[in-house]
Amino acid sequence: MSRTVITLGPRQLGLEEPMYFRVQTEGDRVCGLEVLAGQVHRGMEHLTLKRNFYQNITLLERLCSLCSNSHPSTFCTALEELAGMVIPPRAEYLRAVADEIKRIASHLFNCAVVAHIVGEHTLFRRVMELREIVQQSKETIYGNRMDLAANCIGGVRYDPDAGAIDYLKNQLERLKSPLEELYRVFEDAAVLRAATEGVGVLTREQANEFGVVGPVARAAGIDYDVRKKSPYGAYDRLSFQVAIEGAGDVRARALVRLAEARQAVSLIEQCLDQLPNGPVALASFPEVPAGEVIAKSEAPRGELIYYLKTDGTDLPVRLKWRVPSYPNWAALGEMLKGEPVSRIPLIVNSIDPCISCTDR
Amino acid sequence: MHTCKVPPAPKLRLYRINTGSCNGCDVELAATEALTRFGLERLGLSFTADPTQADLVLITGPLTVRSKGKVLAEYAQVPDPKITVLIGVCPISGGAFRDSYAVLGPLDEFLAADVNIPGCPPRPEAIVAGIAEAARLWRGGEGPQLAPAGFPAPANLRGRMSYRAEACVGCRMCQHVCAGGAIRFEEQEAGVSFTLWHNSCLFCGMCSHYCPTGALTPTGEWNLAHPQAQKYQMVEQGVVPRISCSCCGVPMLPVVPELMRKGYRALTRETAQLQTLCSECRQVRSIGGLQRCTK
Amino acid sequence: MHEVEARVELVLAGALGARQVVAWRRDVKGVASGWCRLGEPEQVLPAARALAGLGARLSMVSASLVPAAPNATGREVAYHFDLDGTTLTLTLELPLQGARVPSLTPVYRNADWQEREFRELYDIEVLGHPNPGRLFVDRSLEPALFERLIPYSTFINGASGEKLWRQVQAAQQENPS
Ligand code: SF4
Ligand code: SF4
Repeated sequence: MSRTVITLGPRQLGLEEPMYFRVQTEGDRVCGLEVLAGQVHRGMEHLTLKRNFYQNITLLERLCSLCSNSHPSTFCTALEELAGMVIPPRAEYLRAVADEIKRIASHLFNCAVVAHIVGEHTLFRRVMELREIVQQSKETIYGNRMDLAANCIGGVRYDPDAGAIDYLKNQLERLKSPLEELYRVFEDAAVLRAATEGVGVLTREQANEFGVVGPVARAAGIDYDVRKKSPYGAYDRLSFQVAIEGAGDVRARALVRLAEARQAVSLIEQCLDQLPNGPVALASFPEVPAGEVIAKSEAPRGELIYYLKTDGTDLPVRLKWRVPSYPNWAALGEMLKGEPVSRIPLIVNSIDPCISCTDR
Repeated sequence: MHTCKVPPAPKLRLYRINTGSCNGCDVELAATEALTRFGLERLGLSFTADPTQADLVLITGPLTVRSKGKVLAEYAQVPDPKITVLIGVCPISGGAFRDSYAVLGPLDEFLAADVNIPGCPPRPEAIVAGIAEAARLWRGGEGPQLAPAGFPAPANLRGRMSYRAEACVGCRMCQHVCAGGAIRFEEQEAGVSFTLWHNSCLFCGMCSHYCPTGALTPTGEWNLAHPQAQKYQMVEQGVVPRISCSCCGVPMLPVVPELMRKGYRALTRETAQLQTLCSECRQVRSIGGLQRCTK
Repeated sequence: MHEVEARVELVLAGALGARQVVAWRRDVKGVASGWCRLGEPEQVLPAARALAGLGARLSMVSASLVPAAPNATGREVAYHFDLDGTTLTLTLELPLQGARVPSLTPVYRNADWQEREFRELYDIEVLGHPNPGRLFVDRSLEPALFERLIPYSTFINGASGEKLWRQVQAAQQENPS
């Protein structure tokens, strides 16, 4: 059979962001993949060395709009750990609220894209409409639909009153049955099932070998969620079960995300019900001594890890982070192997890849 | 050229180019496209995946070194005349990523921009307003002036930042925490002048969060779309005047009531007098006052 | 000492032939992180093999200049491993001239990109990497960007910001509000 190499760009891959693939094919099947990254490389890790800690909070939130809250909150956690600050309990819960609300919006966006790619355009619109409830909630509570600006060193920058809490609870209520319904559609609807079941499989062994994280790992049966394995913020006081599937296919990844979106609703409700009174942040300008520290969190796409090295000034000596999409790209090669070329966009989007995160 | 007579305005096609964005503006564009409530269709606008069919080009992102070749080639495929819309502060000024080794910065150095939609990201309603302005330009300034529908702006929306010189003490904390490089202070004879350039502002509100006096506050004003000619006029400005110390006469920046209220809990006639004293005279006076009290 | 911590120390000692000092810390939530500096860069390969045997996942690799950029006298590469929620960092201290590390890609497939990345940002050679090409940084830019910043920065950094501000100023003078 004839071997050819084709180059695919964002349009062919069905991506919102520029990424290019060099795909080797045999007949109409994929047999090799090279990911050509770098289009969105903005030199951000270097830029963070020229910005002080306060500026970096905002800069890091612009790493990627889909997981935008995970970056400043994890960065602030690292700084607080170094400075020996214990943030107020109310701030811990409010950070979790911000993270979970972003998780719902992120997972729904991916779910909409997957629906679009399999040709379910009505479903696509329906999911986008549903996501608007989350977008409007973010704009109402935080002041922007994407970048919440919720974090500061020592806590959070928002302090919802009873009215805001009621509003948010109400919005969550509006999400519940549509989210359940959506889960059932991805689980059972014939067209979706046919398009996603057994497609783009990553076995548990392969998942381990590539060190993949997040829904991609959990869909392959790996029981790993940073919120459980290395609890941070309020998560040690919230109850939830890690969403796991076993098939490792496109369908399993979608189901993990939808289960997590439903769970996020419950997590936010728990936070709002348990929300302690008190301040939302410590006094603002801490001394950050010289040192090095690791901080981790479970971003919508999986484990996010930050490494911060300081020298006592308010500029980092080194700030390094690894986003969840990073290890997941390499595993794509395995998922695509033997699949027809026409399925590339679906399988690529099933790992919910984030390019701005990866390229930085 | 069109057979269809009603509506008279031909349908315009939009083409999107991402030059290396955080995807915020792109995800919002996707929502703008998908949801009828934002009203792009009503404006006679639709998206195309074919650059050669496009009339309006929508650009997001700060133009990375790596993307430049592809971006400019794609842009060149869109036939002239075309109207170019820059969405988000990234393409307008480089936004948060300005001055990186990997970013080439303002797009108007590489192509002719027509409309700018500041924000980081702007809400879909703002994107639609900017695109509507672009469509009007394309139609030679005719067509419906848009009253954007959608979701009413919530009370604590972080839109255009506003500045009150009367409340500013010139401490420059806002500049220190601003990741957008959007704030400048300048020493002038009359006082210290403050400038905030909206085309570099990330809508993050850090300046107002850390401002000790409340001189900076976000407003709910979200429609900042403007023609390219106004790019550098989109500012917030003010001068904090220097006064002479009422005791020794040395020129100084006034101590604003907001700060006095914080420092002294309440404004009394006595503390009001302290406001017109330079820091040295103030110290002498308040120590003296304190001694009187404790006696 | 906790079980993971004891096992880590045991396998590291086994692989490197001597006891390694690992400083263990716990954060406010009790999550542990271990910090260990290796004597020789070559040791990272047997150490990684031993950790792989424990089921550790390579989570990230961080290269840096020490101290901060203009005064750098050396560099470090820190390998962060995840052991089911505990993070172990193995740090290599490297000279400014002729820094070399062995590739971990034969042990950890996901080391591939991490190594290509620090290779293009720093002057560090990765020995035995299967595919050492540029990853994120455009070929038109000089290699080892984190190290060339001092002269490079005077050329490019801050320049565009200054230029924009001059235009803002000019517009205000023409058109005072
Ligand atoms: S303007 Fe802001 S939201 Fe838009 S792409 Fe740039 S950083 Fe992202
Ligand atoms: S909101 Fe304030 S701090 Fe944030 S970018 Fe704008 S001017 Fe700077």
